[in-house]
Amino acid sequence: MTRTPRTQPRDTPILLFDDQCGVCRRIARWVSASARDRSGATRVIVRPIGSDPAALRALHPGLDIWDAYATIHLLMPDGSMRLGGEAVAQVLRALRSTAWFAWCFGISILGFRPFQAVLNVAYAILADVRPLFGCDSCGTSSGWVRAIRWVIGSLRAVISKKPRPQVTPHGSPHPIAALRA
Amino acid sequence: MNETRALPESPSPTRPHAIVADEAIRTATSATFGALVLNQAGPIAVEFMSYGCAHCRVLEPVLQQAAAMVKSTEKIVRVNVAIDHELAARYDVNVTPTLVMFLDGAPVARAQGPRPHLPSLLAVLTGPFA
Repeated sequence: MTRTPRTQPRDTPILLFDDQCGVCRRIARWVSASARDRSGATRVIVRPIGSDPAALRALHPGLDIWDAYATIHLLMPDGSMRLGGEAVAQVLRALRSTAWFAWCFGISILGFRPFQAVLNVAYAILADVRPLFGCDSCGTSSGWVRAIRWVIGSLRAVISKKPRPQVTPHGSPHPIAALRA
Repeated sequence: MNETRALPESPSPTRPHAIVADEAIRTATSATFGALVLNQAGPIAVEFMSYGCAHCRVLEPVLQQAAAMVKSTEKIVRVNVAIDHELAARYDVNVTPTLVMFLDGAPVARAQGPRPHLPSLLAVLTGPFA
């Protein structure tokens, strides 16, 4: 697993992404491209979570690899971590192309941040529907996504006249064919 | 799901697998699989998993509990299929999590996507050796 290059400034946040998930890879590529200044410096370091728990703990002692795969993590230069929608908002603030509207996520009305709340919900929905976009690594979907997948699978089975695959009691185990490719 | 987290001083009780995950269950690689599994006498359960697999995440705390309960009679080893594709292919593992039970170095039973409940998982782990 690659370590943060010495040439990178220490005040740059690190965005961790699931490198086994096609949706996450596409988003990570976009963030990586958008975060680069004309000078070549980057505002956000984008790196895959990888498979080494010890390497992640070396990056941040409080970072658990299972948690990193469950929710998007942004490691801040001050040692804190932003998770989920908060991480997304912080990344959007850091990018030149999105900073012009990302300020709205900080707007607070009587302690409630409406735009951040909308972003949190949007992130939660995106995290839930990733399997619908062919993400093999996203594993257990929520109930409503499983229902949609079941309908799609049934329609495909009817069209192709093939029986539906067996499903284990808590959902399909994670296929690893994508990892071998 | 959405929060800012400061550096914790110790593993959270709500995340029993955190930090200590690698202590109860050893990780085997292609290089160490022979020494940790094939050349060992007695029963060994090998979990083929990946950290990006949500089913493996659900199973993890239960597997940790089971590992602690059976540690006097049975070892549990994990193989990360994201790294060790060859081992997964050698034992015909197509989904994660898959448990393959070895006795004296030979595979004798397997379970794909076992239920993440302690009684059923214990039955899967110890049943082939009863």
